[in-house]
Amino acid sequence: MADEELKAVQRGYNTREELEELNVLPPEEIVASKRIAMIECTEEIPCNPCAYICRVDAITKDSLSAPPIVDWEKCTGCTACVAVCPGLSVFLQQIKDGKGYVTLPYELLPAPKDGDRVELQDRSGAVVGEGVIVKPTYQARGDAYPRWVVTVEMDDPALSYEVRSIRILGDQK
Amino acid sequence: MVDWRIYEHPILEFDRGEEVTIYLDGEPMKAFESETVAAALYANGLREFSKSIKYRRPRGFFCAIGRCSTCMMEVDGVPNVRTCIVMVKAGMRIKRQKYLAEYLSPILNLMKLPPQVYMRLMTRPGIIYKPAMMVMRQLTGLGAFPKKVLDPPPQNQGAQGEISTEFLIVGGGPAGMQAAIEAGQRGISVVIVDDKDRLGGQLVKQTHTFFSDIKYAAGKRGFKLGEEMISQLDQLPNVRVITETSAVGYYPKEDIMLLKGPNNTTLKVNAKKYLVATGAYEKTLVFENNDLPGVYGAGGVQTLLNVFGIKPGNRGILLGTGNVALMVAYHLIQAGIEVAGVYAPSFRRVRGYFVHAAKIQRHGVPVVTRHTIVKALGRKEVKGAIMTKLNTDYSHVPGSQFKVDCDFICIGVGLNPAYDLVQLFNPKMVRSGVLGGFVPIRDKTYRFAENAYIAGDCGSIEEATTAVLEGGLAGLHVTEALDIRSEEISEKITEYEHALEEDRSSPFSAGLKTAMNEITVDDIMEVLT
Repeated sequence: MADEELKAVQRGYNTREELEELNVLPPEEIVASKRIAMIECTEEIPCNPCAYICRVDAITKDSLSAPPIVDWEKCTGCTACVAVCPGLSVFLQQIKDGKGYVTLPYELLPAPKDGDRVELQDRSGAVVGEGVIVKPTYQARGDAYPRWVVTVEMDDPALSYEVRSIRILGDQK
Repeated sequence: MVDWRIYEHPILEFDRGEEVTIYLDGEPMKAFESETVAAALYANGLREFSKSIKYRRPRGFFCAIGRCSTCMMEVDGVPNVRTCIVMVKAGMRIKRQKYLAEYLSPILNLMKLPPQVYMRLMTRPGIIYKPAMMVMRQLTGLGAFPKKVLDPPPQNQGAQGEISTEFLIVGGGPAGMQAAIEAGQRGISVVIVDDKDRLGGQLVKQTHTFFSDIKYAAGKRGFKLGEEMISQLDQLPNVRVITETSAVGYYPKEDIMLLKGPNNTTLKVNAKKYLVATGAYEKTLVFENNDLPGVYGAGGVQTLLNVFGIKPGNRGILLGTGNVALMVAYHLIQAGIEVAGVYAPSFRRVRGYFVHAAKIQRHGVPVVTRHTIVKALGRKEVKGAIMTKLNTDYSHVPGSQFKVDCDFICIGVGLNPAYDLVQLFNPKMVRSGVLGGFVPIRDKTYRFAENAYIAGDCGSIEEATTAVLEGGLAGLHVTEALDIRSEEISEKITEYEHALEEDRSSPFSAGLKTAMNEITVDDIMEVLT
């Protein structure tokens, strides 16, 4: 029996194509112009810290359960929503000077340090390349418990559409 | 020396207290004051805590919260102590219970006696009962009659005697604590009782942040929420907290709740109103060797991992794709333990929230739907598991079986309401698959018997956040029932109801909402008479 294709809800993660269809990923010209938030939270979950924490009202939810919508124009890429999301589903993306940047929440050991080399993992956990940590910050927003917010730099800008997790390899030296 | 403790964790710091020495069958072992006996033994590598009565199969613990009774050992001369809820003390002597029948078991097995016969043989005439029981207990490994009872810890001498109060709350989890806060803040005299050494229920092991409205608990980690609620209760002099004490019975005629505390102390409590907030039990799964040490409930693994900072193993699998299973997989990843995969039959979808599944998969842990476990491998403890792919009719796909190497199997397939105490109030019980099992009919004020109320998982399996809201509502309704009324109280009730409505507004809760409406009536007394 041939394996039939699994739907996203049976697989438990989205592909880039699915997210594009759902309008979750920002348009390319915006990614090239500034650091921008995307929220890969496509189900109706009764939850609102992201909309609450946003200082520029770039995130709206029609009701407590409605999926959040990001206003690409308003978003300043401040990372507050990355630090606060209980579902760890907010990421920032940017393409600058030919390099890709992804900012993601990180709650594992070892603690990230500036310049650490990392393995880059996509949404399915597959390793898709290597990158370097540029700006790890340890953030406590609102009542949320602190967590690391880590930006990784990658040479292939196209990877910034795929990378959603990292495994820290250690110092660059 | 083996040590399964976790000393570095990204989120948690483990305050283990003083290091002490305990003895297992005379052999010294390193333990810490804040550990339970079972946790300390597990950290030292013990996996088999007892043996099954008839077939002498090895037994580890399953739940780690005093429910499953497979971790019973002899502690300081007292047999059948649930080691998972007794705290370590310096110099404690723990013994595996003697099994004289080990030598006789081939014969006993041939006789094909049902296990209960071992306890009932020779109970008559009365004169031979005691000596006969001593023999039988030795035979079956239930231990000798206790020579003494366990000393209570110094700070808790056990409450003794008879007291009256306005509001007795059984269960110190999120629902019970919030009810105590709301009623306590409005001047009601409250007694809240819990069988653990601390309040907080299952919040103490929840290191993830909650969904929900930011006004209530969203973004907070569960254990922080618990700590905050405990400190709120500390400020209320009219709320009395009794820990390490179980409610063992309710006697309707006398209107008395009987509590049993440490050192065999008993306390009779007469209250004007009762709240049952006893939480839930873990469900298990049927498969070959599911009783092997190394097969644990998701809550048991969470307790080891997040409360005591002890690794359940080096490599594990999760069964179930509900939120609990997905959450525990994430907790294991955080503790640096390898997770071979999360498996479940789920055909239509991953049962839990999508984001929970996504966050473990991006760390390289596969969530595998349409699969189930065939059997656990190993003789004394789990050494692996045989998995199979399923057809849509749940039959095994021939030839699809494969082996997964693992040293523990964690079952997270849902919870059953702990309705034991609820039943003693003679409620009208109904069975609801959506709500988790047997639950009582209640009215809009959460009243399910004349003077008894219900809140949290024991009334319907939901989230910690909804338990807080239900508990708050029950506390406020009890306050009103005790004739303390005000504009502020009714406003607060409306606020809570609105929040609960919002929390249940996602399509995930559609079935639950219908089921809740079905078991909620206008006049509970009409249903009961």
